[in-house]
Amino acid sequence: MIRFTLRRLLSGAVLLVVVTSASFFLAHLAIGDPTPGLLGDSATPAQRAALREQLGLDRPLMTQFWDWLSHAVRGDFGTSWRNFQPVSDQIELRVPVTLSIVVAATLLAAVVGLVVGVATGLNPGGVLARVLKLASVVLFALPGFWVSLMLVMAFAIKLQWFPAVGYVPLSHSGTQWLRSITLPSIALALGAIVMIAEQLRNGFQEVNNQDFVRTLRARGLSARRVTVHVLRNASPAALTVLAVMFVGLLGGAIVVEIIFNLPGIGSLTQSASQIGDIPVLLGLTVVTVVFVVVVNFLLDLVLGWVNPKVREK
Amino acid sequence: MQRIWRATLVAVVALALAACTNAGASSGDGPVEKIRIGTLLDVTSWDPAQADIGFDGPYLSAVYDPLVALDEKSQPIPALATSWTYSPDRLTLTMRLRSEVTFSDGQPFDAAAAVANLNHLKAGVRSGQTYANVAAVRQVNADTIALRLKKKDDALLYNMGLGRSWMASPAAIKAKSLVARPVGSGPYTYDQGDSTPGSQYTFTRKPRHWDRRTYPFESVRVLPIADPTASFNAMLSGQLDVAYANAADTPHAKRNGWNIASKVATWVGIQFTDRTGKQLKPLGDVRVRRAINHAFDGAAILKSVGQGAGVATNQVFPAGDPAYDASLNDRYAFDLDKAKQLMAEAGYADGFRVTMPMSSIFQPWQPAVQQILGQIGIKVTWKNLSPADYQKNAATYPMFVAVVALDSNAAASVDGRIASQQWFNPNPSTEAFPRLHGLLGEIGDTTGKEQLAAIRRLNAEVTDQAWQDVWYQADNTYFSKKGITVTPITGMMFPTLRFLQRG
Repeated sequence: MIRFTLRRLLSGAVLLVVVTSASFFLAHLAIGDPTPGLLGDSATPAQRAALREQLGLDRPLMTQFWDWLSHAVRGDFGTSWRNFQPVSDQIELRVPVTLSIVVAATLLAAVVGLVVGVATGLNPGGVLARVLKLASVVLFALPGFWVSLMLVMAFAIKLQWFPAVGYVPLSHSGTQWLRSITLPSIALALGAIVMIAEQLRNGFQEVNNQDFVRTLRARGLSARRVTVHVLRNASPAALTVLAVMFVGLLGGAIVVEIIFNLPGIGSLTQSASQIGDIPVLLGLTVVTVVFVVVVNFLLDLVLGWVNPKVREK
Repeated sequence: MQRIWRATLVAVVALALAACTNAGASSGDGPVEKIRIGTLLDVTSWDPAQADIGFDGPYLSAVYDPLVALDEKSQPIPALATSWTYSPDRLTLTMRLRSEVTFSDGQPFDAAAAVANLNHLKAGVRSGQTYANVAAVRQVNADTIALRLKKKDDALLYNMGLGRSWMASPAAIKAKSLVARPVGSGPYTYDQGDSTPGSQYTFTRKPRHWDRRTYPFESVRVLPIADPTASFNAMLSGQLDVAYANAADTPHAKRNGWNIASKVATWVGIQFTDRTGKQLKPLGDVRVRRAINHAFDGAAILKSVGQGAGVATNQVFPAGDPAYDASLNDRYAFDLDKAKQLMAEAGYADGFRVTMPMSSIFQPWQPAVQQILGQIGIKVTWKNLSPADYQKNAATYPMFVAVVALDSNAAASVDGRIASQQWFNPNPSTEAFPRLHGLLGEIGDTTGKEQLAAIRRLNAEVTDQAWQDVWYQADNTYFSKKGITVTPITGMMFPTLRFLQRG
């Protein structure tokens, strides 16, 4: 297990270095000179040259890269080119926002997806199974932003149950925090719920017809215990989907954060891209890759716990 | 299984209970005590030297006092500087300062603090341009300072009032701590505990402030909302009292009974950078530039692309400005035949080829430009650039589609739009245009009404020379709930708090 853990951590570190190094050079190539976006309409060439000097952009690109990398490994991602504040401070403020909605959406997707998946797996011809089939078609056809806007129209504008925009930190007020993340989390979770439920239903049906399940039933085990056995065997695929979705939701959060005006890493990525704020973009890349590595690592551990056969492999 | 159902039920009940406390409700029917403002952008920086003028107004005006403010007609008015005088040669500006003002860290505002601030602003990457003509600032006595100028600068006081003279604690400037936390003497204190950076900023009114009457709201909350739909939804849900608006939502705003305020903020059209024909010979002929002016139907483009929010004009002086001359708007009435005739007279009956830059920001106008220029024989090859590269490179092309901010001060407009080097105007030299050159000299030598008359003549000359092809001036629009009025100021993309009042 220790070798397995070390191997995973090493491959994660390599992935981190490769992705962030590639991002550094790609960002500089794609964005070019950021000073027009940073200084606005009225800046003169002399002012732009002064800013380039201040930001260290007049140095060779390799020098800039080593400088950035040597600081980044110590957790120092430099300062934002827009507001000259430390990038790590901004990420520290933004990560809890995105994690709040992504974790809430993942939990929601896991719980509801599990319930619906098991229910439809036990009764494949039932009403719920037909509703799930319809929902999967409808939710794939509807754009995510439209679903978000409908939620805002119904629950924020019409009923005024939840705020249309904004985020309240958990440390400020638990209730207000919950209110501020409810609609964004639901908007993010809807698609994931359907996918997990479908995955679980398919797995459930597949396992349910296997010999060992018939043997368990023949031995007189209660329906509930048989269901637990079936679920443990059917869940790895759904868990993998859930982990992949968690990472996917980090990306999907951009749209939701914009519609609900949440100050998360998605909206920060968008605003940093618009003005070519490379230090912020690179800091966000590092954070996202770390999330991907950690989630995949945790997935391996959970899969091993749920299904011992995975550990043997 | 039952446990899962139970857990789901508990979660639903918790959400329903949470929903019962509706903090998003609006402030009621009485006088508005708390104002919630939705602006387009997050605060750039709490350091006035690194902040933008455009959208930082509501944030910075809450916590800082300026030396000079602007009134509703964009005239400089006293703030921390109570009065000022120019020396007869207009090269020294002496300012008397308000006494008994203290910064939130207990430091006094005095001449030494003002000098430290102006030096800080002069050295600032973003604020430095305002003080480009200031040679030195010195303390005359405890409540008087003097700014010595390298040359006469008629736009200095206006630019200071626009958002370039916020005064911060000298101790905070020295400690370089302003970037993260503001320390000013303004009408409100920043409530960091009740703020979520990037989402909402809360300011609480000071019990005592020298200009308390100008700021009637007990608390101010500013929410940066980049998406216009999100901003509009926040108004509908009662989370905002004032919003930077999309003009397309105006009919909906009217149905809701909101106040609607708008004023021109930018000019939209084609900027010519090669008026002497060095790069592209035809553009050196004024008849070609006039032909292009005649070919575009500015009013139609304003209606179709600009959603009707603005004024169809061919001037760079904002509509309503003393230098704006409505009679000049007929100079290039839409007339395709006339345009073709001018092209033929210039010897370009068959047109010519031009390469123009394009980026996603300007794409709404691209089809119109392609079609209209094509109708007078000008064939465009587009060079696609990223938005950031557009500003850097657009002016290296002989002409390009432009959206340029306007100023509500005639001298600032002359300097910023015509005379000084800007991203859209890399070669402001006017030697090849003697009449124009002479008028710029005349403007530099005069003041007051005489100067304004010269600026109006310059406006006529610039229009006659088809210095650029302005299609229209586009509005900035603001919605506000009943009981709150917004006075837009051209030059401020979002007005400072003194322009948000009860009423």
